[in-house]
Amino acid sequence: MNQINRQAKGDFESLKYYGQPDPLGLRQLKEAWDSRELLLSFFQRDLLIRYRQVFIGVLWVLVQPILGTLIFLLLFYFMGARKLSQSDATVFWQDASVILLGILMWQLVNNSLRDATGSLVNYRHVITKIYFPRMLLPLSSLLCALFDLAVGGVLLVPLAAWLGHSFHWQTCWAAFAAVLWLSAFCFGAILWLSSLNAQYRDVGYILPFLMQIGMFLSPVVYGFDRVENSLSKFWQIVYCANPVASCIGLARWGVLGSPLPPVLGLMLAGLITIVLVVSSLIWFQRSNQWMADRI
Amino acid sequence: MDVHEDTSIAIDVEDVSKQFRLGTLGEHQRITEAISSKIKALLKGGASGASQGVKDFWALQHVSFQIRQGEVVGIIGHNGAGKSTLLKILSRIVTPTCGRVGVRGRVGSLLEVGTGFHPELTGRENIFLNGAILGMKRSEIRKRFDQIVQFAEVEQFLDTPVKRYSSGMTVRLGFSVAAHMEPDVLIIDEVLSVGDQAFQNRCMGKATELGTQGRAILVVSHNLAAIANICCRAMLLDHGSIVLDASPKQVIDRYLQGMRADTGTVNWNTTSAPSSDRVRLHSVSICNAGRQSSSHQVDIDQPICIRIDYEVLREDTINTVQVQLKDENGVYILSSANAPSMSLTQDDFFSKPLSVGRYRTECELPANFLNDSRYVISLFLGPEIGKPTIRCENVLAFSVLDTGAMRKEYLGSWYGPVIRPRLAWSTVEAPL
Repeated sequence: MNQINRQAKGDFESLKYYGQPDPLGLRQLKEAWDSRELLLSFFQRDLLIRYRQVFIGVLWVLVQPILGTLIFLLLFYFMGARKLSQSDATVFWQDASVILLGILMWQLVNNSLRDATGSLVNYRHVITKIYFPRMLLPLSSLLCALFDLAVGGVLLVPLAAWLGHSFHWQTCWAAFAAVLWLSAFCFGAILWLSSLNAQYRDVGYILPFLMQIGMFLSPVVYGFDRVENSLSKFWQIVYCANPVASCIGLARWGVLGSPLPPVLGLMLAGLITIVLVVSSLIWFQRSNQWMADRI
Repeated sequence: MDVHEDTSIAIDVEDVSKQFRLGTLGEHQRITEAISSKIKALLKGGASGASQGVKDFWALQHVSFQIRQGEVVGIIGHNGAGKSTLLKILSRIVTPTCGRVGVRGRVGSLLEVGTGFHPELTGRENIFLNGAILGMKRSEIRKRFDQIVQFAEVEQFLDTPVKRYSSGMTVRLGFSVAAHMEPDVLIIDEVLSVGDQAFQNRCMGKATELGTQGRAILVVSHNLAAIANICCRAMLLDHGSIVLDASPKQVIDRYLQGMRADTGTVNWNTTSAPSSDRVRLHSVSICNAGRQSSSHQVDIDQPICIRIDYEVLREDTINTVQVQLKDENGVYILSSANAPSMSLTQDDFFSKPLSVGRYRTECELPANFLNDSRYVISLFLGPEIGKPTIRCENVLAFSVLDTGAMRKEYLGSWYGPVIRPRLAWSTVEAPL
């Protein structure tokens, strides 16, 4: 009977049906873009909540990388990797800027993964009560981490300028490309992690541990020159297949003039990032179908 | 319904079914569980082993209907009939197992008031956040901001964090934001029936107003009076299927019929009985006072007795019994409990520690009090009145039969009034 009705009256046309096929998960990207205002609201909320009832407010964003840099510098001098008497102030500041840049980039990964993983689960009560593109929740965590990076960049730029690095086009685009690339990597990772965490809470427990390992597997607190000194060419490429390592290497090359990681490694890391992003989109789209049932 | 034949379809539900899995499988909270069950399944041989011990449960089965623009449609059904699942599918929160749902225009779903309110944020910030979650654009919220604030009556608390609001204020603010979105299709759940009477009236008024503006509205409610008043069409959902799609009056009639036990008794066996950790219900029955056998039809000129049998499972249990009476439109008539100040007779067991065993509490409604109509009883048992641990809403229905006791002088219809008590009348000569 429905069928007859359907043909007789054209008024079923222009109805929008839910759950259109979306094998590559591209439709959800468009949907997320369409509700970018909501993304901004979430982003705003996350920022506001972070600094509510916090005395020094946004300064915390600066305190963390500065303290981190100081601690690792002291550690190096303490362990004798550098000797205070032999080196002059320039070497010290050079080390500081290398570590600071590493820590800032690492914070983007660390903060976005840490906050995004729990984002869906923490907003379970919203997800089960109303529909909106769920991707926005982890994305908002990523935006927050990018905000931290931008504020931290304010520290680094004067430091680099003072050290005598001149800023030309190469600096800008390399830094920009590195951040964009790292964001893409984080995007893929948080889509996987947040949706997996919605079903398996283990993800939330194992993540801090993985992040600790990841921090030492990436050139966060040491320069790429150390990797060059201690690893063979083949292992250098393997090392750089880690997108985080490649991104930090690229950024340091652009901003601080450090050696460029092997190109083959960079390409491998790029490929891995692409696979991660595409697979995460497909997976997230699929997980959307059971999200509200199982979260 | 005929009125809207000319408008176009706003919601199309096409053969929608939703399956849930009961049991442990598919609900693994841990990766290790998932892996170990996969391994177990492999060892048992074949993938079919995985489905052992899992019960499939169909929350909805082959549900199809269309709603046209301007229609206000109510959905009623018992707890567990699939109402919430249907609303969640329509709001796109849950994906149906099969079938599809189509809508025209913007969908606003209101399954909860104040979804996404954050306690740390101020009223102002929450209005924008909640509005955005409900799908409003920032410019729209800005445009209606003053109206929202005015409607919620929170002007002086706008810059106070919501965590310091009273619960009433939070609900008002949440509803106010929702009331100012202008969706083409609005889906409202029971939640709107929380709050006081004035608030409910406002909700209902708003829903009716939206309906006249040509929007399609779908309401789920236990409040039958509300469904009867604001809806132009209703659907009865039972065990996941739509059993009746007709005018609200017809659907409400059928719904009440369905819950009416023919014998005037509801008996439970020990497994299915409503129970708390201290008390388990056995049966509820209704009869004319003085008669032993229960009947769903009682005479209007005899006192009516509501008899509740239950078992106390633990020593020193304190129990109170409360009864609520509604008419067939869901209009709430009375509520009473066995407390001394509410009872004509002394109930010695009220608020006394009871020992293990069976008890029977009876409540008598006076003769010549109810009209000749159908009534529904709800039961609440618990250690304190107003804090029940066992709630049986709409557990038993009964009809009051007109025996003609009040018809010696008047033969016309008594249709309309909820109660028909005999009152004390007198006329005296009062010369000026």
